[in-house]
Amino acid sequence: MEKILLMIYPLAEGSLITIELFAVTLLLSLPLGLVLALARRSQNRPLSKAVEIYNWIMRGTPLMLQLLFIYFALPGFGILLPDFAAAILAFVLNYAAYFAEIFRAGIQSISKGQYEAARALGFTYYETMRRIIVPQMIKRVLPPIGNETITLVKDTSLVYVLAMNDLLRAARTIVQREFDMTPFMIAAIFYLAMTFVVTRVFNWLENHYARYDE
Amino acid sequence: MNRMMVEMQAVQKNFGELQVLKGIDLELRQGEVLAIIGPSGSGKSTLLRCLNRLETVDAGSIIIEGEPLVTNGLYVPENKQRAVCAKMGMVFQQFNLFPHMTVLENLIEAPLVVKQMKKAEIVPIAEELLAKVGLADKKDVYPGRLSGGQQQRVAIARALAMNPDIMLFDEPTSSLDPELTGEVLKTMRNLAEENMTMIVVTHEMGFAREVASRVVFMADGIVQEVGKPQAIFENPQNERLQAFLKNMLK
Repeated sequence: MEKILLMIYPLAEGSLITIELFAVTLLLSLPLGLVLALARRSQNRPLSKAVEIYNWIMRGTPLMLQLLFIYFALPGFGILLPDFAAAILAFVLNYAAYFAEIFRAGIQSISKGQYEAARALGFTYYETMRRIIVPQMIKRVLPPIGNETITLVKDTSLVYVLAMNDLLRAARTIVQREFDMTPFMIAAIFYLAMTFVVTRVFNWLENHYARYDE
Repeated sequence: MNRMMVEMQAVQKNFGELQVLKGIDLELRQGEVLAIIGPSGSGKSTLLRCLNRLETVDAGSIIIEGEPLVTNGLYVPENKQRAVCAKMGMVFQQFNLFPHMTVLENLIEAPLVVKQMKKAEIVPIAEELLAKVGLADKKDVYPGRLSGGQQQRVAIARALAMNPDIMLFDEPTSSLDPELTGEVLKTMRNLAEENMTMIVVTHEMGFAREVASRVVFMADGIVQEVGKPQAIFENPQNERLQAFLKNMLK
């Protein structure tokens, strides 16, 4: 028992890093994803095409490769980033592309009549998106966004290649030192706890949006 | 003679190869109720939608209350267009209420956002409008919970909340069950009695006959005949109109 308690402290520390990575990535990639989705739908052909290509690259190559590229290749171009910033940059750029495609699908699913009603009432494009389209889009994209968010909790473990002491790496360090698999079990429980919280938050959001029918 | 509200001159509209409006001339004075009838595909909805720039015209001029919206196919600048079109409210066949907002929120949204009115100013006006369309008790309900007829009356109140001078109705009863059209038509009739200037694209011949001050018959993108309801319905001159009426009233 005492042995387990001794393991929990470094694992809890690792969890903090995991949670920080997760929260900062989510906070930055959601708005960036929305901007990308709107740019993708823009009348401006070069802009829309550029975002299409961006999404293709980000979704078409491994996140691990992107992480390694930003961490190891950027310094070659004279860009030096601390570990945490490099990890965040890679995650945000990658997740924003996934969120962008989900948001784009959500926006496209809103009927043309909503735009027409807003236009007939004198709304500008910006007002229409902000007040009418995006709020309705959120309800429709909650399930896929929830899915991606749960994946993000687990994807944070990829930072072990950057020598950051996240939850998984903390567990592995103890396993290798003590030849005891217990830390992996504890780490699994920690991950489950985090995804449980995320699931509950999304359930709550879905219930909140269930107040109106479409 | 009452003030001129809407003037359309030689308006043309193409969808690709297809010309749906082939030079429309139309005038509407204050307090008039203009009913536009005609077979589907005749361009009557398109005509209405060109007035508040849900469609852009390809040629011709539109003047709203003396202010040009488009002159010989050339539109005035965007902010000017919005100002001109703000004089018109529109009611759609599919209601197009905002499903994520309550009935009251639907009414106050545009005044708050577009006119930047204070909530304290617009809420009493909105409540009064809801009472007028007979839905005061539904103000905190979401549109999804209302019948089609109720939704359409909310849509009328929503358009009125912007205090328009002209109301455009695009087949307002066409997606309603027959037993629900009456309540919507009654609301529109009340508006007409209050001297609201209205353009109504409709298949409701009874409404056109009893409420309209003039009836426009359109077919093939052309205004075929215009006249008082009595003349249109009892003594139609145009052959297409005669055939259309025979078909409708059978």
